[in-house]
Amino acid sequence: MKRELILQARDLRYSYDGERMALDGVSMDIAQGEKIAVIGSNGAGKSTFFLHLNGVLTPHGGEILCHGTTITAKTAKELPRYVSIVFQNADDQIIASTVRDEVAFGPMNLKLPKDEVASRVEEALEYMNLSGYQDRPPHYLSGGEKKRVSIADMIAMHPEIIIFDEPTASLDPQNAELLEGVLDRLSAGGKTILLSTHDVDLAYRWAQRLVVFHNGRIVADGDPLQVFQDRDVLAQASLKRPVLLEVYEGLTAKGLTGGGAWPRTVHELLADCSSSDKDR
Amino acid sequence: MSQRQRKLFACFTVLCMAVAFAPTAGAMHIMEGYLSPPLCIAWGAVCLPFLALGLRSIRRKTGGQSQNLLLLALCGAFVFVISSLKIPSVTGSCSHMTGTGLSAILFGPAVTSVLGLIVLIFQAILLAHGGLTTLGANCFSMAIAGPLAAYGLYRGLRAVKVDRKACVFLAAFLGDLFTYCVTSVQLAAAYPAAEGGAAASLVKFLGVFAPTQLPLAVVEGILTVVIVIGLETYASRELKDIGYLGGNEV
Amino acid sequence: MERQNHHRGHRHDGAVLSIDYCAYASAIRGWNPYYKTAFSAACLILCVACDSPAVSLAVILTMGGISVGLGRLPLRRYLSLLSVPLLFILLSGAAIALGVSLQPAGQYSVHLGFFYLYLTQGGLTQALGLMLKALGAVSAMYMLTLSTPASEVIQVLRSLRVPRTLLELMNLIYRYIFILMDTQCRMKHAASARLGYCDYRTALATFGRTASNLLVVSLKKGSTYYQALASRCYSGELRFPAGEKPVRPVQVLLAVGFLMFLILLWRITG
Repeated sequence: MKRELILQARDLRYSYDGERMALDGVSMDIAQGEKIAVIGSNGAGKSTFFLHLNGVLTPHGGEILCHGTTITAKTAKELPRYVSIVFQNADDQIIASTVRDEVAFGPMNLKLPKDEVASRVEEALEYMNLSGYQDRPPHYLSGGEKKRVSIADMIAMHPEIIIFDEPTASLDPQNAELLEGVLDRLSAGGKTILLSTHDVDLAYRWAQRLVVFHNGRIVADGDPLQVFQDRDVLAQASLKRPVLLEVYEGLTAKGLTGGGAWPRTVHELLADCSSSDKDR
Repeated sequence: MSQRQRKLFACFTVLCMAVAFAPTAGAMHIMEGYLSPPLCIAWGAVCLPFLALGLRSIRRKTGGQSQNLLLLALCGAFVFVISSLKIPSVTGSCSHMTGTGLSAILFGPAVTSVLGLIVLIFQAILLAHGGLTTLGANCFSMAIAGPLAAYGLYRGLRAVKVDRKACVFLAAFLGDLFTYCVTSVQLAAAYPAAEGGAAASLVKFLGVFAPTQLPLAVVEGILTVVIVIGLETYASRELKDIGYLGGNEV
Repeated sequence: MERQNHHRGHRHDGAVLSIDYCAYASAIRGWNPYYKTAFSAACLILCVACDSPAVSLAVILTMGGISVGLGRLPLRRYLSLLSVPLLFILLSGAAIALGVSLQPAGQYSVHLGFFYLYLTQGGLTQALGLMLKALGAVSAMYMLTLSTPASEVIQVLRSLRVPRTLLELMNLIYRYIFILMDTQCRMKHAASARLGYCDYRTALATFGRTASNLLVVSLKKGSTYYQALASRCYSGELRFPAGEKPVRPVQVLLAVGFLMFLILLWRITG
């Protein structure tokens, strides 16, 4: 199935200090409905890349196309309508003093009519299970609740692409699991998701496409399984392999697996192993 | 006055002095309700030209860039937090820095006047330090007079090549003392003594507040030195961004 | 992401400003902020302008009644908040009541070395009246601040044509105060875990270093905050939907009635 391209980044170059290139020729196409995981060590250029997609930073070289139209300095302000970033630290993002005002901040800046703002806020809060929090001050919420508010912020802007910058970094296991549920619901609803993470296990089980950043370049872009099997790429970007893959390969070497498709989840791995039991 | 009354009164006096000696709710805010309406308005009017200058300076410095305004807001929040923190004290009681001398040295007196006003408003509505009717008087003493004195001293002493630490200490210490003198003048003008008028009253206010304010000013001076030196060591670049005067000397 | 609904305002870490906290929890938070500001300001001004103990007392009782009775603020909480300015009130009350002189004067005087400290009946009455007035003014202000979050006060200021730059700074500063307080709190814990407050000298040095670190860290994060705002189309003005909180006619009637009562009280007793 050929999907419609939303964003195309072409040979983006950017430097914060004029010496070290934070982005050194990054090209990437993003199509509607994709589930993309972006991995790479700290300072590899992931966050810088995201800020370009969202129009906050203007590339020093290269260009971005949105629905086939080249983005210029003038039209960069339009990008947040299509692309939203959920920042790593919810506190960096939250600005208002009630949850309602906070979620309304983006839609208000889009200059939407009052009723539209209100209905979007209600919808986003309901989506994030935050109904009843409207009048609560974000600065007295817990970490997990703040994260939910920061996601509702972006949902209310109705973007086509939502970027999550290391969303699980400071969440407890329960909240991290709930976040994965949100990611799945969003993709099921047709949103395109970019997820930056250090959690290779999460990237492996969730993503349909894996992009590896290293020193401001993309060093791998493709099927997660293939990328994780490419030992050169892993060594170059100093990445670990998902535990599930290691276990599966270990079991296969001992002849304990059924030789079906490569498992993406523990569940699939167990199913595969038990099928090999039956064979014997 | 009977012997007993005399004793009672002596006890009362000692009690008052004891209260005065324990550093109390910190900096020299004039409480809500302490000034008559004409004085409230008069002090507010005195502040206006300074604040207008401050706002103009901010608009010029930020150049309409919201990113720069955001940095200034962080500085303002910093001054608020610094002035709301309990500083270490020997007696274990509660006292605060004013932070205005520091702000004047770091950001200049014009910017400080506006940041100081906002900090005072938030201190009034979030901490009940000072008040809304006395905002004008407090703004003049803490956000305008004190910082101007501190800044003037700092520049003057730098110009005659006094040691950097000594400069910062003296600027913050004397700026703090100046604030306290101005506040005493404001209170004395509002409450002239029955005998001797405002002058006698001034001596009295200076005397009552001296035991708390002198040690506080010393501590404020020391802390300001530690903070400024710390900032110069770790953050000369960030400081240059917000127009720290010393930036070019580091 | 938490499933269980948290208790209102509950949190485990960081600092809490108690007045701000009470404002969000107040039962009269839904009252129109313009109304509350106008009523509180009117009481405040009357209390200061009339300078009458009876008026002050009426304001203290009524405002306390509104904050505690209608706002459902626990009485103990309210009293402990009132005690914040109490020390200053007592101290400056004493300073105003007492006089200094080289000769014995007033009704009561005590000899302290080379000067006399004296107390006159008039001074004492003035000081007591002043303390009542200050308490009245503080309670009037508390009525507003214990029921109205700062952002709503800023919204009221906006319609008073306060310069935009000032309002923008106030909005941003209000938010950043909490972020900085949280950061400071963590730094303080980290420092005391390494005995940074073991004696007075060390405590001073630690306090200063934490403070400078706080500014550095905050300024470094400044660009992140800006990016987060810009990614939601921030254009130099924080825009929030104005909440609709209608004023009921009976509220206006009661407020006007109370103010007239105060003026009457002042006329009768003054």
